[in-house]
Amino acid sequence: MATAPAPALKREYPGALVVVEGIDGSGKSTQLYLLKRWLEIGGYRIHFTEWNSSPLVKSATRRGKQRRLLTPTTFSLLHAADFADRCERQIMPLLHGGYLVLADRYIYTAFARDAARGCSPHWLRNLYSFAPTPDITFYFRAPLDVAVNRIVAGRPKLKYYEAGMDLGISLDRAESFRIFQERILNNYDAMVDSDNFVLMDGTVRVNKLQKLMRQIVGERISLQQFAPKKR
Amino acid sequence: MKRGEKSVPKAKAPKAAAARKKKGKAAAAELPSRFYGSPLPGVKPEELSGTLVVIEGTDGSGRSTQISLLTEWLESEGFAVQTMGLRRSYLVGEDIDGLLAENTVTRMTLALMYSTDFFDQLERRILPALRSGLIVLADRYIFTLIARAAVRGIGRDYLHGIYETSLRPDLTFWLNVRPEIAFDREFKKSQTISYWESGRDMSLSNDLFQSFIRYQSMIKREFEYLSKRHGFIEMDGESSVADVNRILRTRIASHLGIRSTHYTPSHALTHLWR
Repeated sequence: MATAPAPALKREYPGALVVVEGIDGSGKSTQLYLLKRWLEIGGYRIHFTEWNSSPLVKSATRRGKQRRLLTPTTFSLLHAADFADRCERQIMPLLHGGYLVLADRYIYTAFARDAARGCSPHWLRNLYSFAPTPDITFYFRAPLDVAVNRIVAGRPKLKYYEAGMDLGISLDRAESFRIFQERILNNYDAMVDSDNFVLMDGTVRVNKLQKLMRQIVGERISLQQFAPKKR
Repeated sequence: MKRGEKSVPKAKAPKAAAARKKKGKAAAAELPSRFYGSPLPGVKPEELSGTLVVIEGTDGSGRSTQISLLTEWLESEGFAVQTMGLRRSYLVGEDIDGLLAENTVTRMTLALMYSTDFFDQLERRILPALRSGLIVLADRYIFTLIARAAVRGIGRDYLHGIYETSLRPDLTFWLNVRPEIAFDREFKKSQTISYWESGRDMSLSNDLFQSFIRYQSMIKREFEYLSKRHGFIEMDGESSVADVNRILRTRIASHLGIRSTHYTPSHALTHLWR
Protein backbone atom coordinates (compact mmCIF):
# COMPACT_ATOMS: atom_id res chain seq x y z
CA MET A 1 0.00 0.00 0.00
CA ALA A 2 2.91 2.34 0.69
CA THR A 3 3.76 2.69 -2.97
CA ALA A 4 0.88 2.79 -5.42
CA PRO A 5 0.95 0.30 -8.27
CA ALA A 6 1.35 1.84 -11.71
CA PRO A 7 -2.16 2.96 -12.55
CA ALA A 8 -3.94 1.01 -15.24
CA LEU A 9 -5.05 3.50 -17.83
CA LYS A 10 -8.32 1.80 -18.57
CA ARG A 11 -11.00 4.33 -17.71
CA GLU A 12 -14.56 3.72 -16.75
CA TYR A 13 -15.48 7.23 -17.86
CA PRO A 14 -15.00 9.24 -21.07
CA GLY A 15 -13.46 12.31 -19.38
CA ALA A 16 -9.83 13.01 -18.54
CA LEU A 17 -8.06 14.44 -15.51
CA VAL A 18 -4.95 16.65 -15.62
CA VAL A 19 -3.33 17.60 -12.35
CA VAL A 20 -0.55 19.99 -11.28
CA GLU A 21 1.45 19.45 -8.12
CA GLY A 22 4.47 21.02 -6.44
CA ILE A 23 5.44 23.10 -3.41
CA ASP A 24 4.31 26.70 -2.94
CA GLY A 25 6.15 28.98 -5.33
CA SER A 26 6.98 26.27 -7.86
CA GLY A 27 4.98 28.00 -10.60
CA LYS A 28 2.32 25.31 -10.96
CA SER A 29 -0.75 27.57 -10.62
CA THR A 30 0.53 30.02 -13.23
CA GLN A 31 1.16 27.19 -15.66
CA LEU A 32 -2.23 25.56 -15.10
CA TYR A 33 -3.90 28.94 -15.54
CA LEU A 34 -2.22 29.37 -18.91
CA LEU A 35 -3.18 25.85 -19.94
CA LYS A 36 -6.76 26.56 -18.93
CA ARG A 37 -6.81 29.81 -20.96
CA TRP A 38 -5.50 27.97 -24.02
CA LEU A 39 -8.26 25.34 -23.77
CA GLU A 40 -10.96 27.88 -22.93
CA ILE A 41 -10.10 30.04 -25.90
CA GLY A 42 -10.20 26.93 -28.07
CA GLY A 43 -13.72 26.20 -26.81
CA TYR A 44 -12.93 22.84 -25.21
CA ARG A 45 -15.18 21.21 -22.61
CA ILE A 46 -13.15 21.79 -19.48
CA HIS A 47 -13.62 22.34 -15.78
CA PHE A 48 -11.09 23.85 -13.41
CA THR A 49 -10.97 22.82 -9.74
CA GLU A 50 -8.76 23.81 -6.84
CA TRP A 51 -7.62 22.06 -3.68
CA ASN A 52 -9.44 23.32 -0.62
CA SER A 53 -12.01 25.47 -2.33
CA SER A 54 -15.39 24.19 -1.17
CA PRO A 55 -17.55 26.11 1.30
CA LEU A 56 -18.28 22.82 3.07
CA VAL A 57 -15.41 22.88 5.54
CA LYS A 58 -14.58 26.58 5.45
CA SER A 59 -16.07 27.42 8.82
CA ALA A 60 -14.47 24.38 10.45
CA THR A 61 -11.09 25.13 8.92
CA ARG A 62 -11.31 28.74 10.02
CA ARG A 63 -12.36 27.73 13.53
CA GLY A 64 -9.59 25.18 13.75
CA LYS A 65 -6.91 27.49 12.42
CA GLN A 66 -7.87 30.55 14.43
CA ARG A 67 -7.79 28.68 17.71
CA ARG A 68 -5.02 26.32 16.59
CA LEU A 69 -7.00 23.21 17.38
CA LEU A 70 -6.00 21.14 14.39
CA THR A 71 -3.87 18.04 14.88
CA PRO A 72 -2.15 16.25 11.99
CA THR A 73 -5.06 13.78 11.89
CA THR A 74 -7.94 16.26 12.01
CA PHE A 75 -6.14 18.60 9.61
CA SER A 76 -5.83 15.73 7.18
CA LEU A 77 -9.39 14.41 7.62
CA LEU A 78 -10.93 17.84 7.17
CA HIS A 79 -9.16 18.28 3.86
CA ALA A 80 -10.14 14.75 2.85
CA ALA A 81 -13.80 15.52 3.59
CA ASP A 82 -13.51 18.68 1.54
CA PHE A 83 -11.91 16.78 -1.33
CA ALA A 84 -14.55 14.03 -1.13
CA ASP A 85 -17.27 16.65 -1.53
CA ARG A 86 -15.57 18.04 -4.65
CA CYS A 87 -14.84 14.57 -5.95
CA GLU A 88 -18.38 13.22 -5.55
CA ARG A 89 -20.22 16.35 -6.63
CA GLN A 90 -17.91 17.81 -9.32
CA ILE A 91 -14.97 15.73 -10.48
CA MET A 92 -16.67 12.33 -10.87
CA PRO A 93 -19.88 13.61 -12.52
CA LEU A 94 -17.78 15.71 -14.93
CA LEU A 95 -15.49 12.81 -15.82
CA HIS A 96 -18.53 10.65 -16.48
CA GLY A 97 -20.02 13.50 -18.50
CA GLY A 98 -16.95 13.65 -20.73
CA TYR A 99 -15.15 16.74 -19.45
CA LEU A 100 -11.46 17.49 -19.32
CA VAL A 101 -10.93 18.31 -15.65
CA LEU A 102 -7.96 20.47 -14.61
CA ALA A 103 -6.99 20.30 -10.95
CA ASP A 104 -4.69 22.73 -9.17
CA ARG A 105 -3.26 20.32 -6.59
CA TYR A 106 -4.66 16.89 -5.99
CA ILE A 107 -4.28 14.01 -3.55
CA TYR A 108 -0.47 14.14 -3.81
CA THR A 109 -0.61 17.45 -1.95
CA ALA A 110 -2.13 15.57 0.98
CA PHE A 111 0.38 12.73 0.67
CA ALA A 112 3.34 15.12 0.70
CA ARG A 113 2.11 17.69 3.23
CA ASP A 114 0.27 15.49 5.73
CA ALA A 115 3.11 12.98 5.82
CA ALA A 116 5.45 15.92 6.57
CA ARG A 117 3.15 16.61 9.54
CA GLY A 118 3.56 13.05 10.80
CA CYS A 119 0.59 11.15 9.36
CA SER A 120 1.43 7.64 8.23
CA PRO A 121 1.83 7.38 4.42
CA HIS A 122 -0.03 4.07 4.48
CA TRP A 123 -2.99 5.65 6.28
CA LEU A 124 -3.04 8.56 3.81
CA ARG A 125 -3.00 6.28 0.77
CA ASN A 126 -6.00 4.41 2.11
CA LEU A 127 -7.82 7.62 3.02
CA TYR A 128 -7.71 8.88 -0.57
CA SER A 129 -8.10 5.54 -2.33
CA PHE A 130 -11.53 6.59 -3.65
CA ALA A 131 -9.98 9.31 -5.86
CA PRO A 132 -9.64 8.67 -9.61
CA THR A 133 -6.06 8.39 -10.88
CA PRO A 134 -5.04 11.36 -13.08
CA ASP A 135 -4.26 10.94 -16.77
CA ILE A 136 -1.35 13.33 -16.37
CA THR A 137 0.24 14.61 -13.16
CA PHE A 138 2.61 17.50 -13.80
CA TYR A 139 5.07 17.95 -10.96
CA PHE A 140 6.59 21.44 -10.95
CA ARG A 141 9.90 21.37 -9.26
CA ALA A 142 11.87 24.46 -8.30
CA PRO A 143 14.89 24.55 -6.01
CA LEU A 144 13.87 25.16 -2.41
CA ASP A 145 15.47 28.63 -2.24
CA VAL A 146 13.80 29.81 -5.42
CA ALA A 147 10.37 28.64 -4.31
CA VAL A 148 10.69 29.90 -0.73
CA ASN A 149 11.90 33.32 -1.88
CA ARG A 150 8.98 33.67 -4.30
CA ILE A 151 6.54 33.09 -1.42
CA VAL A 152 8.27 35.05 1.32
CA ALA A 153 8.84 38.07 -0.96
CA GLY A 154 5.16 38.27 -1.87
CA ARG A 155 3.69 37.90 1.60
CA PRO A 156 3.93 40.20 4.61
CA LYS A 157 3.44 37.38 7.10
CA LEU A 158 3.36 33.61 6.81
CA LYS A 159 0.35 31.98 8.45
CA TYR A 160 0.70 29.59 11.38
CA TYR A 161 -0.24 26.31 9.69
CA GLU A 162 1.16 27.36 6.32
CA ALA A 163 4.54 27.76 7.97
CA GLY A 164 4.18 24.40 9.72
CA MET A 165 4.39 26.09 13.13
CA ASP A 166 2.21 23.33 14.58
CA LEU A 167 5.15 20.97 14.16
CA GLY A 168 7.29 22.90 16.60
CA ILE A 169 10.30 22.81 14.27
CA SER A 170 11.39 26.37 14.91
CA LEU A 171 10.01 29.45 16.63
CA ASP A 172 11.02 31.53 13.63
CA ARG A 173 8.26 31.42 11.02
CA ALA A 174 10.48 31.88 7.99
CA GLU A 175 12.82 29.18 9.25
CA SER A 176 9.95 26.83 10.08
CA PHE A 177 8.37 27.42 6.65
CA ARG A 178 11.61 26.60 4.92
CA ILE A 179 12.12 23.33 6.79
CA PHE A 180 8.48 22.34 6.34
CA GLN A 181 8.66 23.02 2.58
CA GLU A 182 11.85 21.02 2.37
CA ARG A 183 10.16 17.99 3.90
CA ILE A 184 7.24 18.36 1.49
CA LEU A 185 9.63 18.68 -1.43
CA ASN A 186 11.37 15.45 -0.40
CA ASN A 187 8.03 13.66 -0.15
CA TYR A 188 7.08 14.85 -3.64
CA ASP A 189 10.42 13.71 -5.05
CA ALA A 190 9.83 10.24 -3.60
CA MET A 191 6.57 9.91 -5.58
CA VAL A 192 7.94 10.82 -9.02
CA ASP A 193 8.36 7.21 -10.18
CA SER A 194 5.69 5.45 -8.15
CA ASP A 195 2.98 7.86 -9.25
CA ASN A 196 4.17 8.60 -12.80
CA PHE A 197 4.77 12.31 -12.34
CA VAL A 198 5.80 14.36 -15.35
CA LEU A 199 8.68 16.39 -14.02
CA MET A 200 8.61 20.09 -15.00
CA ASP A 201 11.51 22.43 -14.30
CA GLY A 202 9.99 25.42 -12.52
CA THR A 203 13.02 27.63 -13.30
CA VAL A 204 12.43 27.55 -17.06
CA ARG A 205 10.92 30.71 -18.59
CA VAL A 206 7.13 30.83 -18.23
CA ASN A 207 6.22 30.85 -21.93
CA LYS A 208 8.75 28.16 -22.79
CA LEU A 209 7.46 25.90 -20.04
CA GLN A 210 3.88 26.50 -21.12
CA LYS A 211 4.74 25.48 -24.67
CA LEU A 212 6.13 22.21 -23.36
CA MET A 213 3.08 21.65 -21.14
CA ARG A 214 0.67 22.14 -24.04
CA GLN A 215 2.72 19.80 -26.18
CA ILE A 216 2.59 17.03 -23.54
CA VAL A 217 -1.16 17.46 -23.03
CA GLY A 218 -1.67 17.27 -26.81
CA GLU A 219 0.38 14.08 -27.02
CA ARG A 220 -1.15 12.22 -24.11
CA ILE A 221 -4.78 13.22 -24.35
CA SER A 222 -6.92 13.06 -27.42
CA LEU A 223 -8.10 16.65 -27.24
CA GLN A 224 -10.41 16.12 -30.19
CA GLN A 225 -12.99 14.45 -27.94
CA PHE A 226 -13.26 17.63 -25.84
CA ALA A 227 -13.35 19.99 -28.84
CA PRO A 228 -16.44 22.01 -29.70
CA LYS A 229 -18.91 20.03 -31.80
CA LYS A 230 -18.96 21.03 -35.48
CA ARG A 231 -22.31 21.86 -36.91
CA MET B 1 -7.86 -6.68 15.73
CA LYS B 2 -6.76 -10.27 15.88
CA ARG B 3 -8.93 -12.69 17.72
CA GLY B 4 -7.57 -14.49 20.72
CA GLU B 5 -5.95 -11.48 22.30
CA LYS B 6 -8.39 -11.74 25.14
CA SER B 7 -6.43 -14.76 26.33
CA VAL B 8 -3.78 -12.39 27.66
CA PRO B 9 -4.66 -12.06 31.36
CA LYS B 10 -5.31 -8.49 32.42
CA ALA B 11 -3.52 -8.90 35.74
CA LYS B 12 -0.25 -9.48 33.96
CA ALA B 13 -0.32 -6.15 32.23
CA PRO B 14 1.64 -4.11 34.82
CA LYS B 15 4.36 -6.75 35.04
CA ALA B 16 4.55 -7.01 31.30
CA ALA B 17 4.83 -3.24 31.07
CA ALA B 18 7.82 -3.35 33.40
CA ALA B 19 9.33 -6.22 31.45
CA ARG B 20 8.87 -4.33 28.25
CA LYS B 21 11.25 -1.66 29.42
CA LYS B 22 13.94 -4.28 29.98
CA LYS B 23 13.37 -6.62 27.08
CA GLY B 24 12.11 -4.16 24.54
CA LYS B 25 10.12 -5.38 21.58
CA ALA B 26 9.86 -9.05 22.52
CA ALA B 27 7.77 -8.35 25.61
CA ALA B 28 5.73 -5.62 23.98
CA ALA B 29 4.50 -8.02 21.35
CA GLU B 30 2.71 -10.12 24.00
CA LEU B 31 0.42 -7.24 24.98
CA PRO B 32 -2.77 -6.42 23.14
CA SER B 33 -2.10 -3.04 21.61
CA ARG B 34 -4.25 -0.18 22.81
CA PHE B 35 -4.55 0.88 19.20
CA TYR B 36 -5.81 -1.12 16.21
CA GLY B 37 -2.85 -0.17 14.04
CA SER B 38 -0.14 2.38 14.53
CA PRO B 39 -1.14 4.87 17.24
CA LEU B 40 -1.99 8.46 16.42
CA PRO B 41 1.02 10.68 15.76
CA GLY B 42 2.54 11.80 19.06
CA VAL B 43 0.57 9.49 21.38
CA LYS B 44 2.34 7.26 23.91
CA PRO B 45 0.02 4.32 24.70
CA GLU B 46 1.71 3.62 28.04
CA GLU B 47 0.57 7.00 29.37
CA LEU B 48 -3.09 6.09 29.04
CA SER B 49 -4.04 4.84 32.49
CA GLY B 50 -7.81 5.38 32.23
CA THR B 51 -10.48 3.03 30.93
CA LEU B 52 -12.55 3.34 27.77
CA VAL B 53 -16.03 1.81 27.91
CA VAL B 54 -18.15 1.93 24.75
CA ILE B 55 -21.91 1.52 24.56
CA GLU B 56 -23.12 0.85 21.04
CA GLY B 57 -26.64 0.35 19.76
CA THR B 58 -29.15 1.97 17.48
CA ASP B 59 -31.41 4.89 18.46
CA GLY B 60 -34.02 3.52 20.83
CA SER B 61 -31.71 0.88 22.28
CA GLY B 62 -31.42 2.73 25.60
CA ARG B 63 -27.79 3.87 25.30
CA SER B 64 -28.19 7.38 26.66
CA THR B 65 -30.29 6.21 29.62
CA GLN B 66 -27.67 3.64 30.55
CA ILE B 67 -24.86 6.17 30.26
CA SER B 68 -26.62 8.60 32.62
CA LEU B 69 -27.10 5.82 35.16
CA LEU B 70 -23.57 4.46 34.83
CA THR B 71 -22.12 7.95 35.23
CA GLU B 72 -23.96 8.41 38.51
CA TRP B 73 -22.97 4.97 39.75
CA LEU B 74 -19.28 5.43 38.87
CA GLU B 75 -19.17 8.90 40.42
CA SER B 76 -20.74 7.56 43.60
CA GLU B 77 -17.97 4.95 43.62
CA GLY B 78 -15.41 7.75 43.35
CA PHE B 79 -14.47 7.44 39.68
CA ALA B 80 -14.27 10.52 37.46
CA VAL B 81 -16.15 10.14 34.20
CA GLN B 82 -15.79 11.78 30.79
CA THR B 83 -18.28 11.16 28.00
CA MET B 84 -18.13 11.33 24.23
CA GLY B 85 -20.65 10.85 21.46
CA LEU B 86 -21.39 11.63 17.84
CA ARG B 87 -21.34 15.22 16.58
CA ARG B 88 -20.08 16.58 19.88
CA SER B 89 -16.72 17.94 18.70
CA TYR B 90 -16.01 21.63 18.86
CA LEU B 91 -14.33 21.45 15.47
CA VAL B 92 -17.12 20.11 13.24
CA GLY B 93 -20.07 19.03 15.43
CA GLU B 94 -22.28 21.91 14.33
CA ASP B 95 -21.16 21.64 10.72
CA ILE B 96 -22.40 18.04 10.59
CA ASP B 97 -25.73 19.10 12.07
CA GLY B 98 -25.97 21.62 9.23
CA LEU B 99 -25.10 19.02 6.57
CA LEU B 100 -27.66 16.57 7.94
CA ALA B 101 -30.36 19.24 7.89
CA GLU B 102 -29.72 19.99 4.22
CA ASN B 103 -29.79 16.36 3.02
CA THR B 104 -27.52 17.22 0.10
CA VAL B 105 -24.28 15.80 1.44
CA THR B 106 -22.80 12.76 -0.29
CA ARG B 107 -21.86 9.56 1.48
CA MET B 108 -18.07 9.83 1.41
CA THR B 109 -18.07 13.44 2.57
CA LEU B 110 -20.38 12.62 5.44
CA ALA B 111 -18.28 9.62 6.44
CA LEU B 112 -15.15 11.77 6.53
CA MET B 113 -16.84 14.61 8.42
CA TYR B 114 -17.89 12.08 11.05
CA SER B 115 -14.34 10.76 11.25
CA THR B 116 -13.05 14.33 11.74
CA ASP B 117 -15.63 14.77 14.50
CA PHE B 118 -14.52 11.49 16.08
CA PHE B 119 -10.79 12.19 16.01
CA ASP B 120 -11.20 15.75 17.29
CA GLN B 121 -12.97 14.36 20.36
CA LEU B 122 -10.53 11.50 20.68
CA GLU B 123 -7.40 13.63 20.54
CA ARG B 124 -8.50 16.67 22.45
CA ARG B 125 -10.89 15.24 25.04
CA ILE B 126 -10.62 11.48 25.36
CA LEU B 127 -6.86 10.94 25.30
CA PRO B 128 -6.26 13.72 27.87
CA ALA B 129 -8.97 12.15 30.07
CA LEU B 130 -7.37 8.72 29.77
CA ARG B 131 -3.96 10.17 30.59
CA SER B 132 -5.49 11.51 33.79
CA GLY B 133 -6.92 8.10 34.67
CA LEU B 134 -10.60 8.87 34.01
CA ILE B 135 -13.30 6.46 32.94
CA VAL B 136 -14.51 7.42 29.48
CA LEU B 137 -18.07 6.38 28.61
CA ALA B 138 -18.60 6.58 24.87
CA ASP B 139 -22.16 6.94 23.63
CA ARG B 140 -21.38 5.15 20.35
CA TYR B 141 -17.92 4.86 18.81
CA ILE B 142 -16.26 4.03 15.50
CA PHE B 143 -18.53 0.99 15.05
CA THR B 144 -21.68 3.00 14.35
CA LEU B 145 -19.69 5.14 11.91
CA ILE B 146 -18.29 2.07 10.15
CA ALA B 147 -21.70 0.36 9.98
CA ARG B 148 -23.50 3.42 8.59
CA ALA B 149 -20.88 3.99 5.90
CA ALA B 150 -20.61 0.28 5.05
CA VAL B 151 -24.35 -0.11 4.37
CA ARG B 152 -23.98 2.82 1.96
CA GLY B 153 -21.40 0.90 -0.03
CA ILE B 154 -18.11 2.25 1.34
CA GLY B 155 -15.62 -0.60 1.74
CA ARG B 156 -15.16 -2.15 5.18
CA ASP B 157 -11.38 -2.34 4.73
CA TYR B 158 -11.31 1.32 3.74
CA LEU B 159 -13.24 2.25 6.88
CA HIS B 160 -11.15 0.09 9.18
CA GLY B 161 -8.11 1.72 7.58
CA ILE B 162 -9.28 5.20 8.56
CA TYR B 163 -9.94 4.16 12.14
CA GLU B 164 -6.84 2.01 12.58
CA THR B 165 -5.17 4.86 14.48
CA SER B 166 -8.01 4.97 17.01
CA LEU B 167 -8.01 3.56 20.48
CA ARG B 168 -9.24 0.04 21.16
CA PRO B 169 -11.94 0.13 23.86
CA ASP B 170 -11.44 -1.82 27.08
CA LEU B 171 -15.08 -2.94 26.97
CA THR B 172 -17.61 -2.62 24.13
CA PHE B 173 -21.24 -3.32 24.92
CA TRP B 174 -23.80 -3.73 22.15
CA LEU B 175 -27.39 -3.10 23.21
CA ASN B 176 -29.16 -5.19 20.62
CA VAL B 177 -32.84 -4.50 19.94
CA ARG B 178 -35.08 -5.60 17.09
CA PRO B 179 -35.79 -2.79 14.58
CA GLU B 180 -39.52 -3.02 15.36
CA ILE B 181 -38.89 -2.34 19.04
CA ALA B 182 -36.49 0.52 18.20
CA PHE B 183 -39.22 1.98 15.98
CA ASP B 184 -41.81 1.85 18.79
CA ARG B 185 -39.44 3.50 21.26
CA GLU B 186 -38.31 6.23 18.88
CA PHE B 187 -41.82 7.02 17.75
CA LYS B 188 -43.00 7.26 21.33
CA LYS B 189 -40.15 9.62 22.14
CA SER B 190 -40.28 12.04 19.17
CA GLN B 191 -43.66 11.36 17.52
CA THR B 192 -41.83 10.76 14.25
CA ILE B 193 -38.80 9.00 12.76
CA SER B 194 -35.72 10.89 11.64
CA TYR B 195 -34.63 11.11 8.01
CA TRP B 196 -31.19 9.60 8.64
CA GLU B 197 -32.21 6.94 11.17
CA SER B 198 -34.62 5.56 8.60
CA GLY B 199 -31.99 5.66 5.84
CA ARG B 200 -34.15 7.74 3.56
CA ASP B 201 -31.09 8.87 1.57
CA MET B 202 -30.85 5.26 0.37
CA SER B 203 -34.25 5.15 -1.35
CA LEU B 204 -35.24 1.88 0.33
CA SER B 205 -38.97 2.54 0.48
CA ASN B 206 -41.38 5.44 0.30
CA ASP B 207 -43.06 4.15 3.40
CA LEU B 208 -41.26 5.51 6.43
CA PHE B 209 -41.86 2.43 8.57
CA GLN B 210 -40.63 0.05 5.86
CA SER B 211 -37.63 2.24 5.19
CA PHE B 212 -36.73 2.35 8.88
CA ILE B 213 -37.04 -1.42 9.33
CA ARG B 214 -34.98 -2.22 6.23
CA TYR B 215 -32.29 0.29 7.08
CA GLN B 216 -32.01 -0.78 10.71
CA SER B 217 -31.87 -4.44 9.64
CA MET B 218 -28.93 -3.63 7.38
CA ILE B 219 -27.20 -1.81 10.23
CA LYS B 220 -27.88 -4.76 12.51
CA ARG B 221 -26.24 -7.17 10.08
CA GLU B 222 -23.16 -4.92 9.97
CA PHE B 223 -23.10 -4.97 13.75
CA GLU B 224 -23.26 -8.75 13.83
CA TYR B 225 -20.15 -8.81 11.67
CA LEU B 226 -18.44 -6.11 13.75
CA SER B 227 -19.37 -7.90 16.97
CA LYS B 228 -17.48 -11.01 15.86
CA ARG B 229 -14.53 -9.05 14.54
CA HIS B 230 -14.10 -6.85 17.61
CA GLY B 231 -15.44 -9.03 20.42
CA PHE B 232 -18.47 -7.04 21.57
CA ILE B 233 -20.34 -7.94 24.72
CA GLU B 234 -23.77 -8.42 23.21
CA MET B 235 -26.73 -7.58 25.44
CA ASP B 236 -30.48 -7.88 25.15
CA GLY B 237 -31.49 -4.25 24.82
CA GLU B 238 -35.13 -5.24 25.14
CA SER B 239 -34.74 -6.19 28.82
CA SER B 240 -35.71 -3.70 31.50
CA VAL B 241 -33.49 -0.69 32.17
CA ALA B 242 -32.67 -2.08 35.62
CA ASP B 243 -31.67 -5.49 34.28
CA VAL B 244 -29.45 -4.08 31.53
CA ASN B 245 -27.87 -1.70 34.01
CA ARG B 246 -27.14 -4.47 36.52
CA ILE B 247 -25.28 -6.50 33.89
CA LEU B 248 -23.34 -3.45 32.72
CA ARG B 249 -22.34 -2.65 36.31
CA THR B 250 -21.24 -6.22 36.92
CA ARG B 251 -18.99 -6.29 33.86
CA ILE B 252 -17.53 -2.83 34.46
CA ALA B 253 -17.03 -3.51 38.18
CA SER B 254 -15.08 -6.66 37.47
CA HIS B 255 -12.92 -4.80 34.95
CA LEU B 256 -12.18 -1.97 37.37
CA GLY B 257 -11.93 -4.12 40.48
CA ILE B 258 -14.91 -2.53 42.24
CA ARG B 259 -16.29 -4.95 44.83
CA SER B 260 -19.85 -3.74 45.19
CA THR B 261 -22.21 -3.39 42.27
CA HIS B 262 -25.04 -2.16 44.47
CA TYR B 263 -26.76 0.92 43.08
CA THR B 264 -30.07 2.72 43.40
CA PRO B 265 -30.55 5.80 41.26
CA SER B 266 -30.79 9.16 42.98
CA HIS B 267 -34.03 11.10 43.00
CA ALA B 268 -32.92 13.02 39.90
CA LEU B 269 -32.68 9.82 37.84
CA THR B 270 -35.52 7.67 39.15
CA HIS B 271 -37.61 8.56 36.12
CA LEU B 272 -35.17 6.54 33.98
CA TRP B 273 -35.51 3.46 36.17
CA ARG B 274 -38.64 1.85 34.86
